[in-house]
Amino acid sequence: MPRQRVVNPEEKFPTVPGTVFLFRSCTGSLEYPGTENAVKETLASLGIHALMDPDQTCCSGYLLTCSAHKPEVSLAITARNLSLVEKKDLDTYTFCNGCYGYLSELSHIMMHNPAYLQMANDLIARWGYRYEGKTRIYHVQEMWYRLRETIGQKVVRPLAGLKVGVHYGCHYLAKQYGILDDGGYPTFHEEIVEILGGTPVFYKERQLCCGYSVGRGFTHREETVQPHLFKKLTSARDAGVELITTVCPGCNVALDREQPNLGKRFGTVFKIPVIDLSQLIALAMGMPLQKLGFEANTIPLTGVLKKLGL
Amino acid sequence: MPRERYRDRDENLYATVDAYHLVENLEQCLQCGKCAGICPVANLSPSYNPRQIISDVLSGSTSRWLKSEEIWRCFWCAGCYTLCPVDIHFPLLMMQLRYLAVASLHGLKYIAPFKRFALRAREDGLTFAPGSAKGRERIMGIRGGIGLTPWPEVSEKAREEYRALFDMTGSTEYLDRIREEEDQPLELTYLEGRITGA
Repeated sequence: MPRQRVVNPEEKFPTVPGTVFLFRSCTGSLEYPGTENAVKETLASLGIHALMDPDQTCCSGYLLTCSAHKPEVSLAITARNLSLVEKKDLDTYTFCNGCYGYLSELSHIMMHNPAYLQMANDLIARWGYRYEGKTRIYHVQEMWYRLRETIGQKVVRPLAGLKVGVHYGCHYLAKQYGILDDGGYPTFHEEIVEILGGTPVFYKERQLCCGYSVGRGFTHREETVQPHLFKKLTSARDAGVELITTVCPGCNVALDREQPNLGKRFGTVFKIPVIDLSQLIALAMGMPLQKLGFEANTIPLTGVLKKLGL
Repeated sequence: MPRERYRDRDENLYATVDAYHLVENLEQCLQCGKCAGICPVANLSPSYNPRQIISDVLSGSTSRWLKSEEIWRCFWCAGCYTLCPVDIHFPLLMMQLRYLAVASLHGLKYIAPFKRFALRAREDGLTFAPGSAKGRERIMGIRGGIGLTPWPEVSEKAREEYRALFDMTGSTEYLDRIREEEDQPLELTYLEGRITGA
C-alpha cells in the first residue's frame, strides 16, 4: 500500500488548530447523529475545540446538483455560511463529502467570477455579512490523517484485525486538486484502519460511487441504483468485508439503508454494517458505545461489536 | 437511421447551455471517451454516454438529449471529471442541460421529489428533515440519547435569512413553477447504433 501522499498532510496543516468551525451536515446530524457526536468527541480528545454556529444553514449544494436550485441561491447561501466562519477568523471543517465538495466548488466559482461574488455579497449585505474567501475548507478526514500518530497512541480498543472495507465517496475524490491523495487510487483511509488495528480490505468495487450522490435513490432506483449497489456490496461481501466505513453521511444512507431492499430484490442477504470513519476512530479511541448512535443504523453492528468483545 | 442529425443545428447551443459560464473549456473535449468508460451509469445503462452528449452540445444538436431519459440518470458522482484529461466539469454541464429540459417541461417527474425537499428545506434550514412527527421524534430520541440537543440547533435568524435568500434569488418561484402534472414524456433517445433486442 503506497504511503506517499499527493499532498503531504504536514505541509497542508503545518500546525494543528486549537479551534475549528465545524460545519453541520444535515444528513450527518439527522440520519446518523452518531457521526456528529463522534466527530466532536474525537476532535476534543485530540485537543481541538469544535465550534458550531446555530446561524449556519444547510450548504444547499445538494439541491443545486439535483437542478432543484439555480446557482444564485446556492452561491448566496454559501457566501452567507462562510462569512459566519470568517467573522470568527477560523477555517471550515466539514464532515460530509457533500458539504466539502459543494462549499469548495461554490467558493471557487465566486473567487473566479467577480460578478458572482458581488451578486452574493450584495444579497447578504442587508444582514451585515460579507464573504471574502479567506476561510479554507477542509474535511475532518484530512485532520484524522494528519493526526494519525496521535490517534494510534490513543487507541484503547484495537480493532482485532476486523476486516474493514473503506468507501471514500466521490465528492471528496472528485475535487482533484488539494485533496490528500490520488483520486484515482486513494489509500489513506486504509492506513488509518491499520493504525486502529483493523485489516483493510481492497475489495474490487471499493471506488464505486454510492449511487445516491444526487438523489438517485428517489429516481431510477430500479434501473440503475439498485443494480449498481448490488455490484458494489457483492464485491465487498465476496472479499470478506465485515464493516464498511464512509466519510459522507449521504453515502452511509445509500450503503446502509438500501441493503434490505437489495436482499428482497436480488435474493441475496447483505448484512454489512456501514458507519462513518469518525465513528470507527472514536470507537477505537474508547468513546462510550452509547454516545456513538449505532441504533440509527439499519444494519446492526452486533457482529462487529461482539468481535471486539463489546 | 442516421447516427447524427444536424437538422436542428443551433450555432449558439453551447452558449445557451452554459449560461452560467461554469464549463468554459468544453471545446477542448478530445472525445477520448474516458468519461463513458468510468461512468457507473453508462456501465448499467449503455445508451447514457457523456462523450456523445458533449459532442451533441458542441455540434449544436438538441434533438436527442433534451427529451431524453438518459440525462436524468447521471448520478453526479463526477468520476468523469476526475478522469477527464482536460478537466471538463461534466456534472456542471449536466446540471445546466437539466435546467433547459425542465424549462421545456421534460423530466419534471424526476425533479418533483427535489422540489418537495427544497420547499421543506426552505422552512427548516436543513435538507432532508422528515416532515412527519414520527420521523422527527425518532431523530430526537436518538440525538437526545447520545447527549446531543434533540434537534440540530438552527436559529430562527438562520431560517429566516435562508428563506429570504430563496425568495430573493427567484428560487422559490422556480420551484413553484415545477408542476409534475405538466410533465412531457421522455424516451431513451441514444439507442441508435445499438443492438437492443437480441
